[in-house]
Order: sequence, then C-alpha cells, then structure tokens
Amino acid sequence: MTGGDLAIELRGLRKTWRGAGWRGGGKVTVAVDGLDLDVRRGEVFGLLGPNGAGKTTTVEICEGLTVPDGGSVTVLGRRWGGGDDQALRQRLGVCLQESKFHEKATVRETLRLFASFYPGGRAIDEVLALVSLQEKADARQSALSGGQRQRLAVATALLGRPELLFLDEPTTGLDPQSRRQLWDVVRGFRRDGGTVVLTTHYMDEAQQLCDRVAIVDHGKVIALGTPVELIRSLGAEHCIDVDVEPGALGARVTAADLQALPGVQQCECDGARASLTVASVHRALPAMLELLAARGVPLRGLATRHATLEDVFVRLTGRHLRDEGAQ
Amino acid sequence: MNLRIVRAIAAVTLREFWRSPDAVFWTYGFPLLMAVVLGYAFHGQAPEPLPVAVVDGPAAEALAERLRGSERLRVEVLPAEAADRALARGRVALLLRGDAAAPVLRNDPSRPDAELARLLAERELRPPAERAPPIAVEVEDRPGSRYIDWLIPGLIGLNLLGAGMWGIGFNLVHLRTQRLLRRLIVTPMRPREFLLGFLLGRGILVVPEATVIALFGVLLWGVPFRGSVLAFALLVLVGGFAFMGLGCLLAARPRTIEAIAGLTNLCQLPMWLLGGVFFSNERFDGWLAGLVEAVPLTHVNRALRDVMLEPAGVADVLLPLGLLAAFGGLCFALAVRWFRWT
Ligand SMILES: Nc1ncnc2c1ncn2[C@@H]1O[C@H](COP(=O)(O)OP(=O)(O)O)[C@@H](O)[C@H]1O
Ligand SMILES: [Mg+2]
Repeated sequence: MTGGDLAIELRGLRKTWRGAGWRGGGKVTVAVDGLDLDVRRGEVFGLLGPNGAGKTTTVEICEGLTVPDGGSVTVLGRRWGGGDDQALRQRLGVCLQESKFHEKATVRETLRLFASFYPGGRAIDEVLALVSLQEKADARQSALSGGQRQRLAVATALLGRPELLFLDEPTTGLDPQSRRQLWDVVRGFRRDGGTVVLTTHYMDEAQQLCDRVAIVDHGKVIALGTPVELIRSLGAEHCIDVDVEPGALGARVTAADLQALPGVQQCECDGARASLTVASVHRALPAMLELLAARGVPLRGLATRHATLEDVFVRLTGRHLRDEGAQ
Repeated sequence: MNLRIVRAIAAVTLREFWRSPDAVFWTYGFPLLMAVVLGYAFHGQAPEPLPVAVVDGPAAEALAERLRGSERLRVEVLPAEAADRALARGRVALLLRGDAAAPVLRNDPSRPDAELARLLAERELRPPAERAPPIAVEVEDRPGSRYIDWLIPGLIGLNLLGAGMWGIGFNLVHLRTQRLLRRLIVTPMRPREFLLGFLLGRGILVVPEATVIALFGVLLWGVPFRGSVLAFALLVLVGGFAFMGLGCLLAARPRTIEAIAGLTNLCQLPMWLLGGVFFSNERFDGWLAGLVEAVPLTHVNRALRDVMLEPAGVADVLLPLGLLAAFGGLCFALAVRWFRWT
C-alpha cells in the first residue's frame, strides 16, 4: 500500500456516465479518463478546471460516493468497500457541490444532527465561530444567504475534526467577502495540520489558496505543480493585453508577427484583443508598440500583468477556464 | 446501531414535519375531514329511494302511479331517449315501458341496486292479493353494527397506509431529489440508522392520528370501543410499521417524484379496493379472496374492527400482529439493502 505521507492516491481512475432517459440513454460521457493523482498529507491540493472537466466526479469517487469503473483509490491508506468504510468516513470532512440540508431546521439544529455522527467531535459553538455564523445560529436554513449556506456546509464538514477535508467548489457564487472568509477557514484548517482537497474553476482561488494544483480537463490531469511552478512553465511570467480596432488583427498585424517580437513567448488573438505572454516586459513592450505604429494600427487599450494559472490553462488547451459554452 | 444517531435523525424528521403547516393539514386535517364527511353521509339515515324511469307513452302515467306505491322507489316519466341515457349513465337503476298489465323491465344487473329496484318494482306491479304475507323486518341500528361503526376502523387503516406510503415513501424520494441523502451518507452514519430514525420520526405520528379518528368516531357517532386499548395501540404501531416498511422499500430506488408517485398509486389502488375500507372484502371468492388475504391492509382493518367492535384483546390479534411485523421487517431489510443515496 502507500507510504504514510500520502492522503490520497489515485491510479488510472475512470468513470463513465450514461445519460438517463429515452434519448440520453445512448449518450455516454467519459467524466474521468485514466486519472493519476497523489495528494500529500498536510497540503491544500487544488483541482482546477472548467465546468464538466470531471472534478466533482473525481472527488466524489474519493469520498466513496461514486464507484469508479476502473482504477484504484486509496484514501488515508484505505480503500472503499473494505469492510470498515464507517471508520474511514469518521476521518473525512465533506462539503459537496450544492449540498442541501433540512429546509426547516435551524443552523444549530443542523449542526446538532451532524454532531451526532461524530463522537468526540468539535463543540457546535466552536464550529459556529470557525465559520462566523454565530448570529445565524437560530436562523432556519431557508433564511440563509448563499454564502451563509456554504459556510454552514463547511461547518458540517469540520464538526468531526477530519484529517482530510473535501471542498467541491466551495466559493462558487459567493460574494468576495464570503470567499475571503472561507479561504481563511481553509488556511486555518491547514495550519492545524489538516489536508484539503479543493475543486474550483477560479484560477485566483487555486493560486492563492493551494500548495499544489492539478489542472484537469476532459477527465485528465494536464498539468501538475505548485502555482508558481505552473506559471513558470509558461517560460514567461508576464502578460501584455492589447486592444486594437476590430479587424486590424489578422489583417494588418498577425499573431505570427507579434510572436516574432523579442521576448514574446506566446500570442493568443481573440477578436480585437491580443494577449502576449512575455519573459521581459521591457524588451517586448517597446518592440510591440513600434510594430503597431509602423503598421498603422492605433491602440485602444494596453495593460500588463503577471501571468496566472488561467494563462497556463489557455496555453495548454486554447480555451478559457470559464468558457460560457462549456457545459 | 448507534441510538444517538437514530434519535437525532428522528428528531430532525419530526421537526421538519411539525414546521410544515401544509404537511400537518394533509396528515391530520384531511383524514379527519374525510371521517366527518363520510360519517355524516353514512350514519343512520333511511336509505335513499332508488330512481327508476318510465318511458313516456299512453299508459306511462298509470304505470308510474302503480310504482309510486313503494316509498323505496322514486319514479320519473321520461321520453324514450332521455330514459335510455339515464339508464346508461346509472342515473336510474331500472327502466320500464309498456303498461301496468304487461310491462317490460330493463336494467344492468351488474350495477349496484339494479336488481333491488327490479324486485321492488315487480312487487308493486303484482295485484295486492299476490303479494307475500307481511314479514317482520327489523332495522339493524344497534351501535357496533352500523355502516359507520364498520367504516371508522377502516379509515384508521387507510390512514396508516397513507402515513407509510406518502409520509415515508414520498418524503424519502423528495430528500433524494433534494440531494440531502448524499450529504448524509458521506458521514459515518449507517444506512439502517438513517432509515430507522426516519421511520421513527414519522412513525410516532400515527399514534395521535389514529387516536384522533377513533375518538371522533366514538364521541360523534357513538362508535363502540369494546376491546383492549393496548391491542389497539399495538395494532396502530405495528400496522403503521408494516406500511412504513413498504414505503421505505418503494422509495429505495426511484430518483424522481413521478416514479415514486406511480409506484405508490400502483400499491395503493389494490389496497383501497381489496383492503376492506369502504366496502366489505369478506365476500370475495376464488383468486380474489386469495388476493384479499395477501393485502396487508386487510389484516390491519380486520384486526382493528375486532378490537373496536368486538371485545378482542391482545391475544386475539397476535396472528395479524406477527404477520404485519414480519412483512414490515422484511420490507425494511430489503430497503436498507437496496437503498440508493444519490
Ligand atoms: N450523475 C451524472 N450522470 C450523468 N452525467 C454526469 C453525472 N455527473 C457528471 N456527469 C457528466 O460528467 C462530466 C463531468 O462532470 P463533473 O465531474 O461534474 O465535472 P466538474 O465538477 O468538473 O464540473 C460532465 O460532462 C457531466 O455532465
Ligand atoms: Mg463540479
């Protein structure tokens, strides 16, 4: 089996979903397609990928909620279905994508229910304070905002003092303040020695919160490393975004022209905007301005920024993380 | 089995119910309303006269006049076409044409009351001398023998059935579609702990439910309660358990409300028809009689009637109690085995 330093070990994981209904009956979706992954103890591990990439399917397999079609899953040194699933569940905290609770129960009553599952777990007031829900302790589920519901979901996951915490898109749809609050909870949990597996399609979340990130697309890991390593793999840590008048790109100036400039690693053109990944802004920027002026292309906007995981994803797939078309 | 978990699930389930005014109404208000309405409809009145039609013609009035001699018949004279339609729709039980000397009678003997109407009409049409000598007829109206006395235990049985099928089956599938079950099952809680807790949380409700209906019957219409209260309580609990087990089993797999509604109706309809709620199921024979015995509601209703209308004690209902407990236990075990959480 595995060494004690791995929280999760996935090998050759596969899962295929068969659509329901008459027509969908024949439609088969490969959600996880031969995925290998190691999560170390004590780290915050992020699965970053667009909608439909297979993140939820992967974590739900780790949680023992979904049975994979193939491959092996080892969680905290154990396998699901080995006869002592309950003991393993005792060590996990789970926050599902869109978990629901009893609509008419108050926050405290919901926590009391979950507390009954974990002998020796945290006190209810303690977790309420952890997620800053003290004022809402006696509010019913139906009276909570999206952010408060999400914090309640995290609170239920923390009740049992888990060693390993799963958070599936914990901040999707939350306002910036609620997101920060949740990030603090995750950091605190990690500081106390816990391991976190987190899925997200926000690159900033992965970048700020995760020790290591696996970029997932079409059920496969396409890149793996710390956020810094992944960005460095671009060979360039800066980006220049230029807006020009529509129609100029591709006609008067082509992507190849831009890519040939000194210090430019990569160029993505998207309508009237070009994004250059550059190793050194001080060389690429003057050269680019010169080229545009020479071709008679007026600038509409210009910005330089640090490269992000989003740029890594775009480089690897040619698509954006939050493509509206995806699913 | 961790009883702390079972208790916590039961508590949250019960609270969820109490806090839903509509659920409370449909569980308590509606059955009571039904008991009251049915009770008034069927309790102790002289039977309604049977409607018969005479086809309009030269001798129609004379024929109608002869028939009106019986207060059990309500006679109307109708044109041929209207009379035909009235018979076809069941608005009249019998149709007569011709004259009083040689009338033609028409009915559909498979309809309720059709033959009774024919016999009553024939009797009126005979010359007075040929009528049977007077026979003394006593009306059965002692408490315990009226239709209402028979109906109230049946309504209690019907409620237990509803509590299991809708209270358990429907609500479990609802929790599944709400994605609440999948959140619960990724905790150390065991499937049987959840199902048992859920069953207890809802099941505790059948006791007041049945008590209220029984009290209504006793206080409002003088329905007797002759047997043992303990036997009654046991029957309500065990009968309720049987139907709740069935509810769990039906809810084990379906992923949609439509599917569980269909399954519930599929199970409930034969029980309504064969379980002896509104009309007696003791006179079927052949394979139908076998089916009647196979329906759990039959045993619940029969035993409840024994306890309320005859002085039956716990010992007298041990057999149905055992059968129902076994049925409920089997359903429950299968449900735990097959239950789908996602
Ligand atoms: N229960 C399911 N039944 C059928 N298809 C599913 C089911 N769950 C997920 N899928 C499909 O599997 C793919 C991966 O989904 P998911 O794991 O939810 O991705 P992500 O969490 O990255 O958005 C999607 O195409 C999705 O439509
Ligand atoms: Mg997802």
